[in-house]
Amino acid sequence: MIIDELVLPVLMVLMTLVAGVYLVAVIDRWLAGAFGLPQGGSAWLGPLRRGAWLLTQHANATEAPDWQAWRLAPALYLALAAMGLAVVPWSATLVATDLTTSVVLWGSVEALATVVIFLHGWSANALFALIGAYRYVALGLSYILISMFVLIGVALPAESLQFTQVVTSQTEMWNVVRQPLGLPLFLIVGLGMTFWGPLNLADADDLAGGTASEVSGPPRLVWDVARAAMLVAFSGVAASAFLGGWLGPWLPGPLWMLIKMLAVLVVLLLLGWLLPRVAPERCMTLMWVVLLPLSFVDLLWAGIAALLNG
Amino acid sequence: MTLVTLLLLAAALIGIGLYGALSQQSFVMLMMGLELMLNGVMLAAVAFWALSGAGAPEGQLLTIVVMAVMAIEMAMGFALVVAVFRTNQADMTEALSGLKH
Amino acid sequence: MDYPLGVDIAFLLLAVLAVVSAWRVFCTDSMVRASFFLLVSFIAVGVIMMLLAAVYLGVAMFFMMAVEMMVMALFMVMFMMNPAGLNPMMMVHQHRLSIGAGVAAFVVLGGVALLADFPVRPLPAGLEPVRSLGEEMLGDSMLIFESAGVVLLTTMVGVVVLASHRGRYGGAAEGSMPPGLEPGGEPAGMPEAEEGGGHHHHCH
Repeated sequence: MIIDELVLPVLMVLMTLVAGVYLVAVIDRWLAGAFGLPQGGSAWLGPLRRGAWLLTQHANATEAPDWQAWRLAPALYLALAAMGLAVVPWSATLVATDLTTSVVLWGSVEALATVVIFLHGWSANALFALIGAYRYVALGLSYILISMFVLIGVALPAESLQFTQVVTSQTEMWNVVRQPLGLPLFLIVGLGMTFWGPLNLADADDLAGGTASEVSGPPRLVWDVARAAMLVAFSGVAASAFLGGWLGPWLPGPLWMLIKMLAVLVVLLLLGWLLPRVAPERCMTLMWVVLLPLSFVDLLWAGIAALLNG
Repeated sequence: MTLVTLLLLAAALIGIGLYGALSQQSFVMLMMGLELMLNGVMLAAVAFWALSGAGAPEGQLLTIVVMAVMAIEMAMGFALVVAVFRTNQADMTEALSGLKH
Repeated sequence: MDYPLGVDIAFLLLAVLAVVSAWRVFCTDSMVRASFFLLVSFIAVGVIMMLLAAVYLGVAMFFMMAVEMMVMALFMVMFMMNPAGLNPMMMVHQHRLSIGAGVAAFVVLGGVALLADFPVRPLPAGLEPVRSLGEEMLGDSMLIFESAGVVLLTTMVGVVVLASHRGRYGGAAEGSMPPGLEPGGEPAGMPEAEEGGGHHHHCH
């Protein structure tokens, strides 16, 4: 019983986490090479080399940081990513935790991520880190709202807050077709929450690295791994909420899920390289004035469709 | 996990919250005390719902209402803090002596 | 109702975590830490709710309180002189009375918990907590639920009015003077009057 309910799910989540993080790093290096950035060494070995290098580096210290919070924040962010991966279903039965409110749990992972990122920037007791933390909190609230509305829209046709039910409800038609606004909005939220690519405003270059500006050595490694892991969790949730999860012909369910997750991951990383950067205050306006109303439209769309079909 | 232990935990949270609400000088800390008391109330409501109320749906609804009360308390509290800070440049409860004799 | 041993152990740990972090809220120097200790206490209670099968309420606690405490921490940084807790501080009044009141509340409520005879009516088998909550909220108790929504909207309007800079009679800080540093003294925190600016308090 303990093996079935505790050991196997934990192993499953950990394996997905490790493999996913490594793949994110490799694919990102490939893309960087394809877009013309000079890459030293092979893409497969590069991430490992950088990881090993970070492990041997000295962990930087600032003047009077909040040590506990500073060291804990990257680990907590990683734990949140693992929590997100734990609710992603690989098939009708292969789920780490099949909670009846797993969609809401994913929403709270996003909310708690805001807290953790703020803590990471605030506890360093450094100027740029603090500005990055404030930036993220200002933007994070809009990310949470957008993603919640989009996910409620997904939960409506399923008549359930459970990801397995959400996937089952897409047997006839995937949500990406049924609610065309959902997936693009969710992907933007994904980039924002992991502050990846153009939406990297919390750890931005104009802040000399933002919340991570004072972090080096092993904690930096954990922080980078956690961001990549959150991206993996995001692609898992997006694949099951919009792309029909394990559903698909010929191949077994988990394999379909893997293909879809990888596809979302590649799209996310590609968007990270292709989209233009936005200034933080413009990004704020974009989120609240354009994308949030669009998520209302998405929800309304889903609601009317649910009424008409019900 | 029995009803008695759950209620004892709720009582402890309410006690700590009451101490905070009465003793803290800062408005924001005072509000934290209030939140902690509501935390205990919610736990007690859910405990009664699960172990003594036979799963009557009103028990869960009560908790939702308390959550709404909490949100309202936070919002009003912060608005008052901002308003008081604008006029008095202070965030201490002692600064509000306007209604004292 | 008997729970498996694992649930009991988890409850015990979470209860200790909830109480200890609740107590730490009021005895830490750092105000930002205080608000996150409160968040930890809420999360522990949320997990206990999930152990009690209130799956939606437990998870709702997580995201409600995460955002609330985030805002709380921001206000801490805005208004407190010492948000990082770099200096020790203890800002309390009527301390003995408060401790007494807190202990009295615990003793009275704990006494009720220990001595009162509550009916034992566990959850019926086959109850779906989330479904039953949803049907209650949008069924029999819809009026209560919707009133809560309207009250929240009213709160938003009221809060914006209270906190906004501009009112019917001009700016919120118009005509108000910060109190002096000593009784009857110059207003604190005001910018130095410029030459020929309409202010009359010059340096003596």
